[in-house]
Amino acid sequence: MLKFIIPTIMLMPLTWLSKSNHIWINSTAYSLLISFTSLLLLNQFNDNSLNYSLTFFSDSLSTPLLMLTMWLLPLMLMASQSHLLKETLIRKKLYITMLIMLQTLLIMTFTATELILFYITFEATLVPTLIIITRWGNQTERLNAGLYFLFYTLTGSLPLLVALTYLQNTMGTLNFLLLQHWTQPLSPSWSNTLMWLACMMAFLVKMPLYGLHLWLPKAHVEAPIAGSMVLAAVLLKLGGYGMLRITPLLNPLTEHMAYPFLMLSLWGMIMTSSICLRQTDLKSLIAYSSISHMALVIVAILIQTPWSYMGATALMIAHGLTSSMLFCLANSNDERTHSRTMILARGLQIFLPLMATWWLLASLTNLALPPTINLIGELLVVMSTFSWSNPTIILMGTNIVITALYSLYMLIMTQRGKHTHHINNLTPSFTREHALMALHILPLLLLSLNPKIILGPLY
Amino acid sequence: MLRRALPLGLGTGLLGRGLGTHREGSTLDWHGKVSEIKKKIQSILPGGAWSPLYDTSHLPPEHSDVVIVGGGVLGLSVAYWLKRLEKQQGAIRVLVVERDHTYSQASTALSVGGMRQQFSLPENIQLSLFSVEFLRNINEYLAVVDDPPLDLQFNPSGYLFLASEEGATIMENNVKVQRQEGAKVCLMSPEQLQKKFPWINTEGVALASYGLENEGWFDPWCLLQGLRRKVQSMGVLFCHGEVTRFISSSNHMETASGEKVTLKRIHEVHVKVDRSQEYQPVECAIVVNAAGAWSGRVAELAGIGKGPSGTLQGTKLPVEPRKRYVYLWHCPQGPGLEAPLVADPSGAYFRREGLGNNYLGGCSPAELCPQEEEPDPGNLEVDHDFFQEKVWPPLARRVPAFETLKVRSAWAGYYDYNTFDQNGVVGPHPLVVNMYFATGFSGHGLQQAPAVGRAVAEVMLEGRFQTINLSPFLFSRFYLGEKTQEHCII
Repeated sequence: MLKFIIPTIMLMPLTWLSKSNHIWINSTAYSLLISFTSLLLLNQFNDNSLNYSLTFFSDSLSTPLLMLTMWLLPLMLMASQSHLLKETLIRKKLYITMLIMLQTLLIMTFTATELILFYITFEATLVPTLIIITRWGNQTERLNAGLYFLFYTLTGSLPLLVALTYLQNTMGTLNFLLLQHWTQPLSPSWSNTLMWLACMMAFLVKMPLYGLHLWLPKAHVEAPIAGSMVLAAVLLKLGGYGMLRITPLLNPLTEHMAYPFLMLSLWGMIMTSSICLRQTDLKSLIAYSSISHMALVIVAILIQTPWSYMGATALMIAHGLTSSMLFCLANSNDERTHSRTMILARGLQIFLPLMATWWLLASLTNLALPPTINLIGELLVVMSTFSWSNPTIILMGTNIVITALYSLYMLIMTQRGKHTHHINNLTPSFTREHALMALHILPLLLLSLNPKIILGPLY
Repeated sequence: MLRRALPLGLGTGLLGRGLGTHREGSTLDWHGKVSEIKKKIQSILPGGAWSPLYDTSHLPPEHSDVVIVGGGVLGLSVAYWLKRLEKQQGAIRVLVVERDHTYSQASTALSVGGMRQQFSLPENIQLSLFSVEFLRNINEYLAVVDDPPLDLQFNPSGYLFLASEEGATIMENNVKVQRQEGAKVCLMSPEQLQKKFPWINTEGVALASYGLENEGWFDPWCLLQGLRRKVQSMGVLFCHGEVTRFISSSNHMETASGEKVTLKRIHEVHVKVDRSQEYQPVECAIVVNAAGAWSGRVAELAGIGKGPSGTLQGTKLPVEPRKRYVYLWHCPQGPGLEAPLVADPSGAYFRREGLGNNYLGGCSPAELCPQEEEPDPGNLEVDHDFFQEKVWPPLARRVPAFETLKVRSAWAGYYDYNTFDQNGVVGPHPLVVNMYFATGFSGHGLQQAPAVGRAVAEVMLEGRFQTINLSPFLFSRFYLGEKTQEHCII
């Protein structure tokens, strides 16, 4: 695993020592090369994981997430070039350094064997994200957003530290490879219930669960584009990944402890989808749609069936790419009109037809059009929840319909309709932006040809 | 890194100014201190906008979707209709930048407050008709919870225009157009006029048109305050400052016929705080120029008119301030309560003010004197000789009772005078794509403000005029040379 971590750390001296007109091209090109090396991890030759050392390993759950993370860094760098134009050189390098630091910590999170190392890097990812949001965000509300983000996730995850130290004491190890074979069930006592809560709350806040989701619209909307991309695509999946790793330890408590969170998620996905229909701010709409998709993932993980695990992992990867692409599209709008309100930038299809194609593709994948991997994930989740409990099909069906409604609403509001006079002189799309969108949609479409690599360890 | 990261980029204020002004006095102001601490705690808790270095509550926000330059009746009307016509509540963030919150020089506050439909252009008549309907139902349009209803003091006494022999045919045609649009106007011969208003001297009058309904005068300050209150309750932000600069970016583009044009987009407005060097750059998507008499200056800031004359880039916004005097006098034998606003063919006009035989009046010098005799618009000083020479003689001739009167007071106000054709400028500028105009109404802006606000809001939100078609009032007519002029006696 050091073959990823060390090059990523070395990207930092690369940025600082590059000439001023080469910082972007250097960091983007090298991070793209590093992302290609992650393809090596796909060669999982047996049901056990690929073990590189006692500290790092990768199995078919962490591999797709790792590939997503490493693929996203060059994309983030490409997307940030425009809004950092006016900054001084040192600040540009600082920004890139923050992104690289975040990337290193994320790689270590997804490949950590020891759960304490996972926890440390999990918490450490908050710091560069907070700096990116509060320093480079757009408006005064970003301080508020940073506070919400920091304290929600911190408060959720501090009990996890306590739980992990307790588990280390009782089980003697927190090495995931050994924990996979843990067979002793948890007795249903109060303290074990609290431990279940302590373990899960950190990840539920991160996902986010419907009742604890207030930080997400704020953080996503106020963050700069790279911050939004990494938040939506990867940081949310940290929660899912953590839940998938820790649930083997918490049998059989999950069967009855999961009910409140299942209800919250089932209800919350419909609520947040409906909120999307009433949003006027484009980034806010995409943020709420993220919550809705992640609620599906929470439901899938909590019912713990093989198909639902496959659906959860597929949905995480698919949503990561789609959400990131939607944020890039919204940012391209924002950079041109200097406003995130949808109502002020309408009829864009006439002005930017190729960008309208990307908008169409992104909206179609967002509403889980067959045969994309979004559909595979959603379908697996819907089927497994149906078999878990028949009436949930009504809620799931309603959610699918409302998702389609708001995705098309967003498409029609921004692309179709009569344009207003003040968008007459939109700058045409840059090649960089087209490359960005293509690099998002290409993996998404190619994965629909071979989805088994993202279906996780239970495939 | 964290220390540097947090407060930077929050607007350029004076560093080290300290957190507000703290008295180092010896009086123990417990109440004040406690409320200050409470305010600070409230601003720190999530939900408040807190700047760790210094207090920025007097500055406008860093980002606003629409910035309206000018907080007079036109600017507030545009803000009101924007908020009313947006599809969902809170969709658009609007900021109104007003330089003087006492409105000491604003045309709105110093206006005579007349409302008429007797124009010659059908668009003007439609604008006034909608505006009077707005004013009649003002307590439905501008209702705010828990606030008392507005009393506009609308006196529906009508307008009386007098025409001499030469102007009689124009007046008849105008009345025909007005009746077509739905205004209720009646034409009177001198005999009928003498019978209806016995205090009038009908010498030299060939025809008179009298507005029977929906004309009169009202209190402009009340409308302004009502709009301000309602607009604040709808979520529009007010800022006390002056726009000093527009930061824009240009795109060189080609039209369909191959001509090269440079389209400009304003993406930042620098708002300077009063009596200080501090300014706040406000990132915006749309700018509305409703600065009244100073619209020309604001347009110049955006680069409108900077180019070779005769081209579209070189066409300036022809709105400049023109000073007009209004005199208040007392005449015990004067016309009674039924007196309308009488407009003499010479250009002088008067109306009743209150119930104590006081009258307001003035004269538009455009008719009488050539350009050189326009009063100097540098200040609002009143010239009393103007009354003696230009206003009193024609009024005294028209109303013999006015031979004995006593001037009580006088004031001066600005017209946002459109030197091209004395009618308003509405809609976007063809080259600066996100600047919209709502100005230049040359003396009849107040009475058309509600309708103009709605028209501009429609263009901004829908892309075209939906209810009243104001395309004759677009900016492009200055370049094309098409005057939309009123064929009126005044």
